[in-house]
Amino acid sequence: MSDKKQPVSRRQFLNYTLTGVGGFMAAAMLSPMVRMAVDPVLQPKEGGEFHATGTEVKNITEEPTRVDFSYEQQDAWYVSEVSKTAWVYKNESGDVIAFSPICKHLGCIVKWEGGQGNENQYYCPCHGGLYEKNGENVPGTPPLAPLDQYKVKIQDGMLYLGEVIPNKVV
Amino acid sequence: MKWNGQDVSLYAQSKEFVDTGIVPLIPYSLSGSEKELTQLANQSELLTLFMKEVEEEYRGRIFLAPSFTYLKETSIDKEIERINEWAERMEAEGFKHLLFFTFDQQWKKAERKLNPSLIWMPIPQVQDIHNEEAKKVLRSQIEQVTELITAYWQE
Repeated sequence: MSDKKQPVSRRQFLNYTLTGVGGFMAAAMLSPMVRMAVDPVLQPKEGGEFHATGTEVKNITEEPTRVDFSYEQQDAWYVSEVSKTAWVYKNESGDVIAFSPICKHLGCIVKWEGGQGNENQYYCPCHGGLYEKNGENVPGTPPLAPLDQYKVKIQDGMLYLGEVIPNKVV
Repeated sequence: MKWNGQDVSLYAQSKEFVDTGIVPLIPYSLSGSEKELTQLANQSELLTLFMKEVEEEYRGRIFLAPSFTYLKETSIDKEIERINEWAERMEAEGFKHLLFFTFDQQWKKAERKLNPSLIWMPIPQVQDIHNEEAKKVLRSQIEQVTELITAYWQE
C-alpha cells in the first residue's frame, strides 16, 4: 500500500459493492412477490363492461329487432367466445331499450311476434309464454316475471350492451 | 336442459314442462386411415356442437341426453336394441317427442326398426368448425332443425 491518501478505503469499497449487489438480489426476489400480491388490484373490472354490437343507434326503430353480438369472456386462463342476443327498440321518448331474449319461465329464447296471432308481443315457443312490448309478462301464461334487460350505452352513435339487469321499464 | 347437476335439478322441479328428448348418435373408431378418423372425429365434434345450440334455443322444453356412443365396427342391429331401450326409459318418464340425431347414414336404412324418430342430416361441408363462414352455415342449419322441432310440437 502507498502512503497516499486513499479516497475510498478497501473496507469502504467492499461495503459499497456488497450493499449494492445485495440490494439488487433482494429486489429481484421481492419484486415478483409484490407484483403477485397487488395483482388483483390491477385487474380490470369485469362487471361494468360494455360490448360493441355493431348496430347503429339511428337504425333502431320502435319495432323490436334482433341484435346478435359476441365477445370474449375470460374464466381464469380459459378464454371463450360468448354469443348473446338482444331484442332492441326505441320507446316513445326515444330511449333505447334492450331485452334479454331468455324466457323467465324455463329459459327458452323468445321471439318478437313469433308463433301465430301474437301481434305486438314476445312469444316463447316452448310453453306459449307471452310478454308485452315493454317486457311485461302476460298474466295467464307460464312466465311469472318480466323479461330482463341489458344495460345500454351509446357511444359515437353505436349501441353497446352491458350486463343483464332486472326489468326497469314495467 | 342438459345432463349436468344444475340442469337436472331444474328438470326434477319442472318435469311436466319437459316433453322432448334429443339424443345425438355418435360413432367412434380408432381403426382406419388418418383421413377417415379425422372425418369421424369432426362429425362427432360437429354433432355435439349442433345439439348444444339446439338445446340452448329451447332449453325449457328439451332435454339433451348424453351422447349415444357406439363402436363403428359393431353391428347396427345390436345397437338398435340399446337405442330402443333408451327411448323406452324416456317415454316412461313422460317424454312425448323423442328425436335421435345422426350424421351416420347406416341408421337411415335401419329407421323402421327404431321406435324414436330418427333425424339423419347430411354432414355440413365445413373445413374448420371454428371459423366465421362455418358458423354461418351451421347457424342456418340449426335454425332449420329448431323449426322442425316446433313442427313436432304443433302436432
